[in-house]
Amino acid sequence: MKPPYRQRRLLQGLAATLGVALSLQAGAGDGAADFGWTTRLVAEGHELRRDSPFAAGLDLTSFGRDRYRIEQELRGRAGPVSLLLTATESGREGARPDGRFVANEAYADFSVGGERFTVGKKVLSGDVAYAFRPIDVLQRESRLQVMPAQLEGIPMLSWDNFSVDGAWSVVIANPGHQRRGEAREDGSVALKLYRRAGAADLHGVLRNSNRYGLELGAAAAMVPSDALEIHASLLTQHRGERRLPLADTASVADLLRADRALVTETIAAPRKALVGGTWTTAEGLSVLGELWWDGTAPAAADWQRLARQAAQRRALLGLPGVPAAAVAGATAASTRMFEQGNLARRGLLTRLAWSDPGGGWSASADLLKSMEDGGWTLTTALAWQSDRLRFDAGLRRHGGHADSAYRLLPERGVAFVGLSVAY
Amino acid sequence: MFKRFVLLALASASLAAAAADDGKVKSLLRQADAYRLAMESGRVETEVRTFKAGVPDKTRQYAVYLKPGRRSLVLFRTATERGQKMLMLGDDYWLMMPSSQRPLRITAMQKLLGEASTGDVATMTWGEDYDGQQVGEEVIDGVPCLKLDLVGQRKGVSYPRIVLYLAKKDHHPVQAELYVASDKLAKLARFQLGDVEGRKQVTVMTLIDHLQKDRSTEVHYLSRTDRTLSDDYFNPAFLVRADVTQ
Repeated sequence: MKPPYRQRRLLQGLAATLGVALSLQAGAGDGAADFGWTTRLVAEGHELRRDSPFAAGLDLTSFGRDRYRIEQELRGRAGPVSLLLTATESGREGARPDGRFVANEAYADFSVGGERFTVGKKVLSGDVAYAFRPIDVLQRESRLQVMPAQLEGIPMLSWDNFSVDGAWSVVIANPGHQRRGEAREDGSVALKLYRRAGAADLHGVLRNSNRYGLELGAAAAMVPSDALEIHASLLTQHRGERRLPLADTASVADLLRADRALVTETIAAPRKALVGGTWTTAEGLSVLGELWWDGTAPAAADWQRLARQAAQRRALLGLPGVPAAAVAGATAASTRMFEQGNLARRGLLTRLAWSDPGGGWSASADLLKSMEDGGWTLTTALAWQSDRLRFDAGLRRHGGHADSAYRLLPERGVAFVGLSVAY
Repeated sequence: MFKRFVLLALASASLAAAAADDGKVKSLLRQADAYRLAMESGRVETEVRTFKAGVPDKTRQYAVYLKPGRRSLVLFRTATERGQKMLMLGDDYWLMMPSSQRPLRITAMQKLLGEASTGDVATMTWGEDYDGQQVGEEVIDGVPCLKLDLVGQRKGVSYPRIVLYLAKKDHHPVQAELYVASDKLAKLARFQLGDVEGRKQVTVMTLIDHLQKDRSTEVHYLSRTDRTLSDDYFNPAFLVRADVTQ
C-alpha cells in the first residue's frame, strides 16, 4: 500500500533535510559551515466552550480539538548561505496526521562594490514591541500564540547600507506578486531606516503595496536606566482592511451562505499605535506593560453583531427548508473572524516574568485585556532549559463579558506542553 | 606671602602625587589586561562551565569579537542558544533571537540574566572601564599582590566596584572581588595562567558566586585570534545579517 501523498512528501523532506545536515556537518570542520538540529514535540489540549453561540458549526472547525506536532529543524549557515528547514508531522483530534516540509529560510548575504545585499527567503520581522507590532509591515507575524511554529520567511531581495550609527535598506518582498490571499504574500517595496541616537533606537519604515497603498511607520526604543526600557510604535496606512460580520439587515439566504458569512471592509487611513515598557530587577523579575490602539481591528459592536448572527442562524435550525448543513457551514465560516491579528482595538498586556538569574527555570503570567469590551486572556507558563533540553508547559484561559471577543472564542482555554532536544 | 607659597606648593605636590598614583593604577590595569587580551581587536572562543554545589551543571560556548571603544559582539554557540547574538557598545546592549530576526535593545539588568552573565564573557579588559587607587598589599594563595580598589567609570559596567589583586612581580591578575550596585560582594574571581603560544595568558577565570552560595562558574578561554571585523558588524541593524563566521 502506498503511503498518502503528504506522508510521502514529509518523508522526502526529512530525507532531504538529513542529507543536507550530514553533508554540511561533514564540512563543518573547516569552519565554513555551522549547523544545528532540533527535535521538538508540542502537544495541546483544547477545551471547547459547550455553550458557545457558534456550537452549531464547531464540528467543521478546529476549535476544541486536541493536537500535536513533531518538528525536525535544521538551522545554520554554510558560507554566505543561511538555512532554516523544518519537517513537521502534525495531528489533530478527528483528522488524519499530516506532514509538511518547509524551507522557512534560505538566503544568501553578500557584498558587491562595498554595498551589501541579501537574496532569498528570509524572516523580516520588525518593530520594537512585544504583544502587537504596528510597523511589522513585511513579516506580519502573528503574536501571542501558544508554542508557535518557526516563522516562515518571505521571498525577498534587499540592498542594505550601514554607517556607524545608522542603516537603511531597500527591500523588495515577494517579487513578481501583486495581491495574494494573505497580506504577507503581497508583492511590495519597502524602505527601512534605523538610527541610533544615544540611549535610543529610532526605526522608520515606508512600504507600498497594492492592498494597503503607502504605509508609513516609526518606532523607538529607549533605555533610560539600568532597569527600565520604554518603547513606542506608530503606523499610518493609506487604507486598511478588516473582516466583519454581515450587516444586521442581511437576508436569511445570506445568513446561510458560508462564502458570505464575513465581509472584508476597506478602511480609509487607519492608524495603529503602541506604547510600552519593561522593568527588570537583578533578581530576575521583570514586568512588561503595553497599551495599544489598532484601527484595523473589529470594534466591540462588530463582535456583538457576530454573536447575534450566530444566534439567528441557530434559530433557523429545524425550520422547514433550512438545511442543518447550511447552518453549520455558515456558522463555522463566521468563526474565521477570530483569525484576525488583533481581536480588540484597544488592548493592554501586562506580563510578569521571572527567570532564574543562574539560568535553568523561568516562569511567566500574561494578562491580555481588551479595553473596549472587557474580554481577557490569561496565560501562565513555566520553562526549564539545560544544555540540550528545553521543556515548556502552561495554561491559557479566555474570559470576560459575555459578548466580548475573548469570551466569544469557542474555546475556554488550552493546556500546552513542549519538549525540545537540540544537537 | 611665603606661607601662601608653601601652601600652594604643598597642594600642587599632593595633586601631582595623586595624579601619579592615578597614572600608576592605569598602567597596572593595562599590564593586567594584557594577560587577558593581548590584542586591541580579536576573536575569543570561550567555554563557560557552571557548577551547582560543585557538581557540573551546564556548559555554554561563545565566540566573542572585541574592538576598541568598548565594543563587543557575542555569538552564542551552544545547541539550545545557537543563532543568538548580543551586541555591546559601551553602555548600550542589544539581543537578537534567531526566531524573530530583530535586534532588541535590552537593559543592563537583562544583560546580567541567563546561564552566565554575558558581561563576564564579553568584557576582557579593565583599563577602559575602571580607575582607582592602590590601597595596600596582600598575599593571595602564596602570591604577594598589590591590592587595587577600582570604581567603574561608566554606568553600564557589570560591577560598579572591583577590588583587584595583581601579582607584585609581573602584575598578572590573581583575584578580583566583584561588587554589585548595592556594594554587596557578588562574585569572587580567580585567574589561572597558562602558556599560550609562548606568552603567559589567563586561560581560566573561576567565578565563585557569593549571592547564590552553591554556584560557581569557570570561564575557559579556548583561543584568541587576531581578527578584526569592520565597524558595520558593530551596528545593531547588522545583527540580522549572517556574515559573521560562527
